[in-house]
Amino acid sequence: MNPNLDYITWFGIDWPVEVEWALVKTGQILAIMIYLLLTLAFILLFDRKVWAAVQMRKGPNVVGPFGLLQSFADFFKFVFKEIVIPAGANKTVFILAPLMTFVLAFIAWAVIPFANGVVIADLNIGIMYLFAISSLGVYGIIMGGWASNSKYPFLGGLRSAAQMVSYEVSIGFVIITVLLLVGSLNLGDIVENQRDGIWMWHGFRLFNFAEFPSNLIVGITMFTMLGVFFVSALAETNRPPFDLPEAESELVAGYQVEYSSTPYLLFMIGEYLSIVLMCALTSILFLGGWHAPWGPVDHPVIGFIVLGVKMWGVFFLFAMVKAIVPRYRYDQLMRLGWKIFLPTSLVAVVVIGYYVTFVAPRAAEIVAGG
Amino acid sequence: MLEAIAFYVLAAIAIVSAFAVIAARNPVHSVLFLILTFFTAAGLFVLLGAEFLAMLLIVVYVGAVAVLFLFVVMMLDVDFVELKQGFLEYMPIGALVALALLGELGLVASAALSANGAPIALGPAPAPEITNAEAIGRVLYTDYVLVFQLAGLILFVAMIGAIVLTLRHRPGVRKQDIAAQVGRKRSEGVELKDVKPGQGLG
Amino acid sequence: MEITLAHYLFVAAALFTIGVFGIFVNRKNVIIILMSIELVLLSVNVNLVAFSAFLQNIEGQVFAMLVLTVAAAEAAVGLAILVTYFRNRGGIAVEDINQMRG
Repeated sequence: MNPNLDYITWFGIDWPVEVEWALVKTGQILAIMIYLLLTLAFILLFDRKVWAAVQMRKGPNVVGPFGLLQSFADFFKFVFKEIVIPAGANKTVFILAPLMTFVLAFIAWAVIPFANGVVIADLNIGIMYLFAISSLGVYGIIMGGWASNSKYPFLGGLRSAAQMVSYEVSIGFVIITVLLLVGSLNLGDIVENQRDGIWMWHGFRLFNFAEFPSNLIVGITMFTMLGVFFVSALAETNRPPFDLPEAESELVAGYQVEYSSTPYLLFMIGEYLSIVLMCALTSILFLGGWHAPWGPVDHPVIGFIVLGVKMWGVFFLFAMVKAIVPRYRYDQLMRLGWKIFLPTSLVAVVVIGYYVTFVAPRAAEIVAGG
Repeated sequence: MLEAIAFYVLAAIAIVSAFAVIAARNPVHSVLFLILTFFTAAGLFVLLGAEFLAMLLIVVYVGAVAVLFLFVVMMLDVDFVELKQGFLEYMPIGALVALALLGELGLVASAALSANGAPIALGPAPAPEITNAEAIGRVLYTDYVLVFQLAGLILFVAMIGAIVLTLRHRPGVRKQDIAAQVGRKRSEGVELKDVKPGQGLG
Repeated sequence: MEITLAHYLFVAAALFTIGVFGIFVNRKNVIIILMSIELVLLSVNVNLVAFSAFLQNIEGQVFAMLVLTVAAAEAAVGLAILVTYFRNRGGIAVEDINQMRG
């Protein structure tokens, strides 16, 4: 018994307190993982149903009522297939790539707050952590493309990686505008800054006429930033209309072409989970997080449900964009990212910086007084 | 105790993967081990309480610099056959120099940290409610703002340098002029031809 | 046991020597030299941040950020030079880069 450490007594044995912490955290992580996997299963089906509805057909409706068990059937199909590894492929890296994508997609959810105080790791630098995880996400794709020992996946992987890196830059600047408004990197603080009803949500500050005329400056900029973030999130996750690197007709599924059953399943889960993460981030950064449009929500379960509704709403927009917008050519995609979004978000950072320092009510007092 | 375990695990992985960077046969494996080294170094930074710098390390080093290395290594199509011809030839000298360096570093460190000479002065204790990011921000934009601007300038010059070195204009590449396309008038796009029956446009 | 400053300095010293060792013994590939330089800069960063944490002086971390910036810039320009060299010469063996020898 070390007198410097704290102990807790279970079943007559003294355990260090860290063991209790570890068990509690493991339980939370398992709960979140199960929730995410279930959400993923139904979101895959929702994607296909929305796509089908736009095209005036029904979508999957054979497996289970309304096709609700489709994703579980797909899961079993993938698992029972044979894993094929190409002959000249680098086996370690070939298996490592989908593992990396899968793991990174999950660990990003450690900092996402689902309701007031309901978060696995309340980091002070939550946004930086998310940015780091999305920077690492590029590697799964590059390694998957290279390890397949084939030209098409290699090119597809490099193109996809270049696309992701390009749009990460504009996502970074958009996030900076939000951070300037909030003053903290903590995701819980970002949501708490949007407490007072729908007109204080970062995306909709334009309609907050209580602060006229300053709401015009910040409102137009932030609404533009909401649009830029949404489109950049589409490009970041290789989602249509920016899915040329994995388009069926052009590059035959890009970096995933040599992958079969379970590694392919891991790639797919990783990709869709990062899509859901982007939906959650859009809701948290711009759409008020777990707060309701009429006012703050402090109850954990209601907040959870509100955030869930917002996530599904943003995903509905993702699915509609997939169904409606024609695919961008690769050079058009790069032009959009570097020549249009990057200058826009840079100007927005300057505008919001000006707003926060000189225009915003309390900041103007501080600058005048101090 | 947890901190000690974390430190030893991270330090061991960092040193082993740093050695694997220089010892791996395949350059792509070297880059992957380099990424692992950066990652474990970021973990060490988190242990030290510098979490903002740790995330910055991952975003900049792992997310950008190592991606650059990986692209170059994959695209350069290096001949793997000429493996380690010189490795054994230069290893004794290299090991000697490395050990001499390590010895010197150890001597200097132990001399500086020992109680002989002036004791090392501690800075002011940080206020506990300031996050690491805010603490850096307080110093970076006030006392060191010129250095900050200089760092931006260095990055700008590096960007221009990299583009100037590698950009080559190939003749015959057709580009899209979006403004011209969108600003096309009907007079430029449509032309009415009077076709005599039985003759065709010819 | 207590993790002191000396532990972190040892890690930094080990990374530094491995980086220098890499520059010495590498004969096949210029990219390994560039990566060893990155290792050296990483060891300097570990050193700076360790001192910053143990002496409670935030300026060490600011300096580490600037070292990070310079390392990124240098890696970019170094790789651009390498790519241009490869385009002109067709190979990147270290022994062949001796054109300026008088």
